[in-house]
Amino acid sequence: MAAKSYDNPELNKKLADQRYHISQSNPQFTKDVIKTSRTIANMCYQCGTCTGSCPSAPRSTYRIRLFMRRNVLGLENEALTDPDLWLCTTCYSCTDRCPRDIAPTDVIMAMRNLAFKKDIVPRNFLQTVQLIYNSGHGVPNNDVNRAARKRLGLTADPPTTHMYPEYIKGIQKILDHFGLKENADRIIKGE
Amino acid sequence: MHEYAFFLGCIAPNRYPGCEASSIKTSEKVGIKLLPLEGASCCPAPGAFGSIDLTVWYAMAARNLVLAEQMKKDIALICNGCYKSIWEVNHILKHNDELRSQVNEVLKEIDMEYKGTIDVFHLAELYYDPKICGIQKIRDSVTTPMTGAKVACHYGCHLMKPQKDRHFGDTENPMWFEELVAAVGAEPVQYRNKMQCCGAGGGVRGYDIVHALDITNEKLINISEVGADAITELCPFCQLQFDRGQIEIKEKFGDVYNIPVLHFNELLGLAQGMSPQDLALDLHAVDCTPFLQKVL
Ligand code: SF4
Ligand code: SF4
Repeated sequence: MAAKSYDNPELNKKLADQRYHISQSNPQFTKDVIKTSRTIANMCYQCGTCTGSCPSAPRSTYRIRLFMRRNVLGLENEALTDPDLWLCTTCYSCTDRCPRDIAPTDVIMAMRNLAFKKDIVPRNFLQTVQLIYNSGHGVPNNDVNRAARKRLGLTADPPTTHMYPEYIKGIQKILDHFGLKENADRIIKGE
Repeated sequence: MHEYAFFLGCIAPNRYPGCEASSIKTSEKVGIKLLPLEGASCCPAPGAFGSIDLTVWYAMAARNLVLAEQMKKDIALICNGCYKSIWEVNHILKHNDELRSQVNEVLKEIDMEYKGTIDVFHLAELYYDPKICGIQKIRDSVTTPMTGAKVACHYGCHLMKPQKDRHFGDTENPMWFEELVAAVGAEPVQYRNKMQCCGAGGGVRGYDIVHALDITNEKLINISEVGADAITELCPFCQLQFDRGQIEIKEKFGDVYNIPVLHFNELLGLAQGMSPQDLALDLHAVDCTPFLQKVL
């Protein structure tokens, strides 16, 4: 009998049944995911409610249930190198509906954190770090907006790090403590 | 007057200053005073930043919380993304000693200490709360009711979800936002899959804009189906995704909706007699004129 198939060959390949071997599994990965996500990710019984709730699933090969499985099986490499890892909008629909009371969203966040430790991270995430390091804001002010703010009777710059740049040093100290900016610069440069 | 430290975030002050201006003015009319939280930064963005390193996300959000602790004021804010960072990190640090001492070790380097002495609120929940403001007070503050306008409510994700950690109740079909919208005289309309995400979160807007817009497009189809004159939301990032997103959707998919997108505070501002100029509605990507003609 023919296996279940989709029109999209990419999807077909991705969702086809596969064999895994013990050698592919890293049990420490499961533990790390559980620690960082602070959710009982190993309790997943693969019901698929998460994927059924997911706005990203119908328009991509991203399947949250698959990532939940990879976690249980310790398939670190499969999970962290799959570009779909970055298609979760963190909408928490799956989390609200999971009958096992797991937070699949936080599993994804934990896997992204672990991917970053291996320098796997899309560029736009790193740019946010750089912007915050330099200005305190992920979305900084600009001239058009400054003019509009003045028209509204607001200060040209909001009373944040924009108006009080002396606070930026503290932010840089926090980020430097973790070497985050350095890492971001290094990864972007190495591309 | 109930006083709060006003946490601005990024998108409201730096892209839609009308959200900021209207929040300050509308809240004052219902007995809430928003004080500037000097030196605050990005919350930081829960998706883009939290995806990289949650430990740093905790520490950075904690710095913002400490600024408010030093003012001895609870925080009020107007963005779901900020709520996720500021409310949730406050909640986590209050209940998790291990993370809290980790965070405080870092904060010590900048002479700060997180103490867990304040609470965090979305301005909309303060509006809804009868102990602070309540629907009746909102209704009484209206001078220009938004009569005849059908308005679709977009709750967004990070205010109410995950339900078990929050205190907003049902996340499948809540109705409290509709009550607020009805209080300004508009007609809230129901549409398919109301609680679906706008598509922008989790860094997806930056990572794969077409994917993000495709999610937005689905919501716009559902919203246009019921003939909404405007979308209102509680999050400037959702606002950006629906507002600029409509221009991008037109370019990328050829679908045209022209549905104005207003933050609830902008809508309330109009209803309290603020002019479109007071709200800088000209900065919105989708022209708000048809909606304004209907209600003003
Ligand atoms: S909904 Fe929960 S139990 Fe079901 S597959 Fe998803 S994570 Fe596993
Ligand atoms: S949080 Fe992520 S995985 Fe869960 S439903 Fe939303 S987009 Fe899908």
